[in-house]
Amino acid sequence: MSRNPYLPYPARIEEAVVENESRDIKTFRLAFEDPGSAAEFRYLPGQFAELSLPGVGEAPFGIASSPTESDRLLFSVKRVGVFTAELHSLEPGAPIGVRGPLGRPFPWERMSGKNLLVIGGGFAFTTLRALIKQVLHPDQRAHFGSLLVIYGARTPGELMYGNELAEWQKRSDIEVHLTVDNAANGWSQHVGVVPAVLEELKPSPKNALAVVCGPPIMLKFTLLSLTKLGFPDDAVILSLEMRMKCGVGKCGRCNIGGKYVCKDGPVFTRQELASLPAEY
Amino acid sequence: MSDSQQIETRLRETAEKLLREKKVSLFLGYEKATLPFRTSPLFLSKPEEVERLAWNPFCTTNLSVYLPRLFKAPVDARAAKAAPPPPTVGVALKGCDIRSVVALLQERQVRRENLVLVGIACPGMVDRRKAEKALGDHQALGAGEDGRGNIRVVVDDGTEITLRREDVVADACLECRSPAPTINDIMIGTPVEGKKTETARLRTAEFESRPLEARWAGFQEVFSRCIRCNACRQACPMCYCQTCIFDQNRPRWIGAGTDLSDVAIYHLVRALHLAGRCTECGACERACPMGIDVRLLGRKMCAEVEDLYGYRPGEAIDATPVLSSFAMDDPQDFVTEP
Amino acid sequence: MTEKLISHTNLERLLERLRERGTVYAPGRDAEGEVALLQWPQKEPLTLEFTNFRQSPKAFFLPQTQTLLRFQDGKPVEASLPSGERYLFGVRPCDARALLLVDKVFLDGDQNDPYYARLREKTTVIGLACAQTMPSCFCTSVGGGPGDGTGADVLAVALDADLLLKAVTAKGEDLLSRAVDLLAEATPAALQEAEERIHAAQDQLAPAATADSDRRLREAYDSPLWETAGQKCLGCGTCSFLCPTCHCFDITDELRGGVGRRVRTWDCCAYPQFTLHGSGHNPRPTPKERWRQRMMHKFRYAVENFAVSFCVGCGRCIRNCPVSMDLRTALKELGA
Repeated sequence: MSRNPYLPYPARIEEAVVENESRDIKTFRLAFEDPGSAAEFRYLPGQFAELSLPGVGEAPFGIASSPTESDRLLFSVKRVGVFTAELHSLEPGAPIGVRGPLGRPFPWERMSGKNLLVIGGGFAFTTLRALIKQVLHPDQRAHFGSLLVIYGARTPGELMYGNELAEWQKRSDIEVHLTVDNAANGWSQHVGVVPAVLEELKPSPKNALAVVCGPPIMLKFTLLSLTKLGFPDDAVILSLEMRMKCGVGKCGRCNIGGKYVCKDGPVFTRQELASLPAEY
Repeated sequence: MSDSQQIETRLRETAEKLLREKKVSLFLGYEKATLPFRTSPLFLSKPEEVERLAWNPFCTTNLSVYLPRLFKAPVDARAAKAAPPPPTVGVALKGCDIRSVVALLQERQVRRENLVLVGIACPGMVDRRKAEKALGDHQALGAGEDGRGNIRVVVDDGTEITLRREDVVADACLECRSPAPTINDIMIGTPVEGKKTETARLRTAEFESRPLEARWAGFQEVFSRCIRCNACRQACPMCYCQTCIFDQNRPRWIGAGTDLSDVAIYHLVRALHLAGRCTECGACERACPMGIDVRLLGRKMCAEVEDLYGYRPGEAIDATPVLSSFAMDDPQDFVTEP
Repeated sequence: MTEKLISHTNLERLLERLRERGTVYAPGRDAEGEVALLQWPQKEPLTLEFTNFRQSPKAFFLPQTQTLLRFQDGKPVEASLPSGERYLFGVRPCDARALLLVDKVFLDGDQNDPYYARLREKTTVIGLACAQTMPSCFCTSVGGGPGDGTGADVLAVALDADLLLKAVTAKGEDLLSRAVDLLAEATPAALQEAEERIHAAQDQLAPAATADSDRRLREAYDSPLWETAGQKCLGCGTCSFLCPTCHCFDITDELRGGVGRRVRTWDCCAYPQFTLHGSGHNPRPTPKERWRQRMMHKFRYAVENFAVSFCVGCGRCIRNCPVSMDLRTALKELGA
C-alpha cells in the first residue's frame, strides 16, 4: 500500500547552525523519529522536501545534504516569511515533519563522465552543496570529469557553508572560485558578479554540463555568458523556485505551462524551459 | 423605436465622438453576450468599433468595478517613472453605477479629471434568474425588448413568450431610490424619478421581526450554500483593497473553507467593511453563482447608516463619507449605554 | 454490456435498495427551487425533468473543504478515510466524463491521492442521458455527447414510459445483476427510442471551435486577444468553482491548543493572488495572464499532457460568469 503523500514523516531538529553574517540563513540537521522512515526516504541531490509544522503550514526546501552523508539530512532555510520565521525560532529537539523526497533530481545519468560546471549565487547554493558532496565522495569521484565551482554572494559573510568551501579549496579534485560584490574583512579572492568570473575563467563546453542556481538577475546574465561560451541549451541545467503547496503535482500552484515544477522539476534543462511560457 | 434603441443610438454616437476626438482613450460599455438575458462589458478603444456597443434591459454589470484597476497608483517612485500616464476613460453608467463612482471619487480611487461620465436613464434591468425561472421548463434561445419595455423571448420550441418587465426586473432595481445619475458629464435619456420605496427596509424589518433563533436559522439557511468563491467581493466596486483582509496570512483571520464560522465571519466582516460605502447596486448578488441573497446584511447596514447618520452612500458627490467624518452630535448611546 | 428496462416505480425501489447499502443522492429541488443532487429520499418525488445541476458533482469527490491531516498534541495524523458507500443517480454525461479527467491528476499512478481514491472507490455513478440541452452546452465538441456513458457505471436513458439502464463498468454490471427482479428485457423498440432521444438532443447542439485547440493556443500565446478578452475578468472564481474538471486547491493549517487540522480548499488560478510569491513577484500579474492560463490549461496543456482537453462542455462557466465571458468565443477568435 503506497504512502499517503500528504502525511509527513515525523522528525526532529538535531542541530541548527547559522550560516551567514546577517543571520537569516540557518542550516538544520534533521533526524527521523522512526528509522523505517529514513530507509524509505531515499533521495538524490536536486530533490526537495516539504517541511511541515502543524498549525503553521509547509514550505518546500532543496535538500542540502547528499545521500553519501548517511548520518545527516540537511536543509538550509532563509527566514523570509511566516513558516521560515517559525522554523528559525525552533530549538534542537523540536519536532518537525518531512514530506518527500519530491521532484526530479539533477540528471545523474547524463552527468556521468562529464566535466561539471557548478554555478551558484547567494542563498541558491543548497542543492549545489548536495551535488558537490555527492560528486566528491570517494566512491563517486571517478565517475565524473573535472569539477569547477563558481559561487558568489553580496559580501564574504553571506557565503554559505564557509568551512566546507575552505576545505574544498584545499583539494585537488575540485576547483572552487568564490566571488563577492563588496569585498571586506581582508577578502583576497574575486570581486565582481558571477557572470564576470565565469567569463574570466572561460570553462570549455566540451563534454561539459553546467548546473546553475541563483536569483533571477544572476541567472539572466549567467545564461547569457554560458551561451557566449558555447554551452548548448540542453547542457545547461537549472533548478527553479516556485510557490508550492502540495508538492505532488495536484494543486496547480506551481504550474508553468503544462509542467509542474514540483513533479516535472524543479530541475529543468534550459532547453526544456525554453519551450515553457515565461510565467515564473 | 424603443427607448433602449434610442439610447443605444445616442450612446454609440457619444462614444464614437469621444474616441474620435480623443477625449477618451477607452470607452467602457456593454456588448451582446452569447447567451440571452446577458450582456458583456466592452472595453472600446477604436471609434470604428462603436457598433459593438449595446444598450438593452440586460446591461446589468456595474462597470465602475473596472475603474480602480485602471487608475491603480504605481507602487513607488521608480515604478511611477516607468508607468504610462493614467488613461482617460468614458463610461456608460446607470444611476446605481454612478453612486459607485461617487463613492470611489470620495475615496480617491479614481480621478475625476480622467473620467467622462455618460449617465444613462435606466428603468430597471432584468434579473436573468427571474427571467429564466419565469420560462419554466423552456430554454431561452434569444431575448429582446418590445416597444413597451417588456421582454420578448424566443424559446427552444420556436415559440415566443413575453415576460412583463415588472415581473423580471431585479430586486436591487425595485428598491432603487436614485436611478437618475447624480453626477454626469453627458446624460442620455430622460432621468427616471427615484421611487420613494421602502422595500429594502421592509425586507430587513421582516427578517428582524423574527425571534433570535429563527434569525440565526434564517442566516444559516441563506449562507449555508456559500462556496467561498469570492465572486461577491470581486464584483463589488468598493472591494478594491490590494490585499483583502481574508487573503492575508499574517495573521490568517479565517479559514478558506465552508465551515459555517468561516462563512459567517466572511460575510459579516464584509458587510461591516462596506458600512457607509455600499451603494446597493446589487453587483454582489448578481455575481453569486449560488443565488444567495448576499445583500441580506448590506440592506441592514445601509438602513443603520441612514438612521444613525442620515447618510446614503454615493448620492451626493460633495458629501463627506460618514465614516471619514465626525460630528459633535453623532449618536453615541451605544458607547455610553451598550 | 447489459441493457435493461426499468419502470419508474421500480427505479424508486432500486434507489430504496441502494439506500440500504449506502447513501443515495438523486435530483431534487433545493430551497431555491433549483434541481440539485440531494440526499434521497426528499419530500418531493424524484424528478428527471431538469437540464443540469448548478454545481458539478465534483464536490462529492473533491469537497470544497476537506481535512487531510488532523493534529493531536500538535502531531499530524492521517485524517480517516471516508467509509460509506454512495450512489449518485442522475449525473449528466458531461459531469460523469469529467471524473475520468480529474482521475488523471489525482490518481496519476505515481502519488495517488488517497482521499480522492477512496471517495471514487466508494461511489457508484448512475448517469442520466440528456433529452434537452441548453444553448451553453457543447459536449459533442469536446469528445462527449448527451448519451455518452463514459465515466458513469450505469447510464440511464429516460424514455416515454420507463427508463433504459445500460451497464458501463464492472461496478455497473454488478449493480444491475443485484436488481434483476426489478428489471425487464430491453426491447428493440426501447433501444430505438433511446437512440432517437439521444440523437434529438445531439441535434440541438451547436458546434464550438475546439478542434486543434492545442496547436492554435500554442501559436496564439502572444496574441493581443488575451488582453482584450481577459481584461473583463473579475477574478471572481465562479468558473473554476463550478467547473467539473477544475481541481486546483490550497492547503492551510488550523491549530489551537494542540488540536487542529491541515485542510484543503478549492482555489482558482483566476484569483490575483494565486501565483503571488512571498517576495511580491507575481508571474501572472494581470487578468490577461490569468485568463490565458485558464484557456491554456484546459485546451492546450491538458492535451499535451493527457491527449484530451480538460473541458466537458457543460457550459456552467458560460452561464454563471458575472460578465458573460464565453470560452467558445475565445477559441473561435484564436484563428484557424
